[in-house]
Amino acid sequence: MTDLNRVLIVDDNKDILSTFYEFFNSMNYEVKTAVDGLAALKILKDKSNCFDCLITDLVMPNISGVGLIAIVKKEFPDMKIIAMTGYGDQPGALASEAEADIVLFKPIDLFKIENTVSKLLSENSDNNEKHD
Amino acid sequence: MLKQKNENKTMTTPLIGVSKSILKIKELIHHVADTCLNVLITGETGVGKEVVAQCLYIESERSSKNFVKINCAALPETLLESELYGYEKGAFTGAHKNRSGKFQMADKGVLFLDEIGDMPLALQSKMLHVLQSGEFSPLGSEQEFKTDVWVIAATNHNLEDSMAQKRFREDLFYRLNIIKIEIPPLRKRKEDISPLIEYYLRLYKSEYPGNHGEKPGSDTLTKLINYPWPGNVRQLQNCIKKQMILKSWEKIFDELPKEEVKLSTSTKKGRKSKKTKTLPDTKNADTPASIISEFVDLSTSSEKLFEDISLKKIKKLASDKVEKEVIYFVLDKVGWNRSRASKILKVSYKTLLYKMHEFKVLPPV
Ligand SMILES: Nc1ncnc2c1ncn2[C@@H]1O[C@H](COP(=O)(O)OP(=O)(O)O)[C@@H](O)[C@H]1O
Repeated sequence: MTDLNRVLIVDDNKDILSTFYEFFNSMNYEVKTAVDGLAALKILKDKSNCFDCLITDLVMPNISGVGLIAIVKKEFPDMKIIAMTGYGDQPGALASEAEADIVLFKPIDLFKIENTVSKLLSENSDNNEKHD
Repeated sequence: MLKQKNENKTMTTPLIGVSKSILKIKELIHHVADTCLNVLITGETGVGKEVVAQCLYIESERSSKNFVKINCAALPETLLESELYGYEKGAFTGAHKNRSGKFQMADKGVLFLDEIGDMPLALQSKMLHVLQSGEFSPLGSEQEFKTDVWVIAATNHNLEDSMAQKRFREDLFYRLNIIKIEIPPLRKRKEDISPLIEYYLRLYKSEYPGNHGEKPGSDTLTKLINYPWPGNVRQLQNCIKKQMILKSWEKIFDELPKEEVKLSTSTKKGRKSKKTKTLPDTKNADTPASIISEFVDLSTSSEKLFEDISLKKIKKLASDKVEKEVIYFVLDKVGWNRSRASKILKVSYKTLLYKMHEFKVLPPV
């Protein structure tokens, strides 16, 4: 119960990134951030890290959010994934195809996204309890 | 099939470079080589897009299968289609037997779509469909084949611009752009020039043991490092090869096209060439720079220059110039009878008057 929920937030817009960081921190999450898909992948592959939820932008340099989602789905199947996009429908559709749990369109209300995260994570723990 | 594989094995070139961008690309290759996610590689001609594609393939689990390349700019539409998907006997006149396409040849391996930005729109739709469904059918065939290929695409176009001009499908772009590898031009990663020279000197020496290529002296090396290399690594390679024969780096440097140097290096402010207008040299009157210099002042700083250069503006200036000439020519022929001239030019009388006013076309006094 004492464990904080851990989220990884990925966006190539540094302002958005720090806003999200501050907000989730204040809402009692353990937060890490990455500026693109490759940076995120390196954090994910670091064994000392472990996340409950990934919140990622979609259009980014090197590894796109869609690419990151596909990799995470395969390597960390339990992690919940929220995709955010500000680029029309295409990337969002690809994120759903890559099985993001939820796709949100920018601009996104911070409280709404926190709500979404907490719902997703509680689903998760409900399931775990049933299985235990 | 086997032949194709072997050919490629011997062709594989390591990605040489010590610049930040090349190191980052190497790291990226390492992290995504096993994901099999679609890749889009962008950069000017000769920067090493194919080298990067090969590195991805070599580091992947698919390296024991085929690496199949197709250049989407080199073939006319119908041929490109049959090359990609193959055809069935009787699909069109001349199709005497079944022929498999690149998609089949690349099965379980890599399909490298070079110059994807030049793919005709109709084939872009078909490509999108194949990437979405994972299935294709050869021309003239009803049968759908499952594909398992890793698609790596490359282009020297700015696809964002192509999309804005409706020459590239947005949905195809996003589907390919899952992993994006941008290779900067050589002039933006000058640290790589010296290691590239060293690598290729050694390689060519081992291929032609009789020849004595030598390293450039430090002065020449500095000049080579500061040259803007519009043809990127391929151009550098050619210089190194030539050097094996001419045995003089000085000569090689002197032979490099300098007109383009002036244009491209003006990115660096305060070049010596500041005051030298590119135009007056009549011998070069038709070089691109001299044509451009008719419409913009190339001798200004690059900031100002890049502000001044706009395709729309230049188009207007160029067409105005030609229109003015033509109007003058026709008016002169018909003794400045403006109504006759407007009929010949197929514009209204009013338009002609307007244009004469705009271009200050006046009868000789
Ligand atoms: N980083 C590099 N290291 C070694 N060779 C390179 C490198 N970049 C380019 N080359 C060589 O330069 C030539 C042009 O590269 P290529 O990959 O064909 O460029 P592009 O596909 O971008 O036009 C090739 O012969 C390639 O082997």
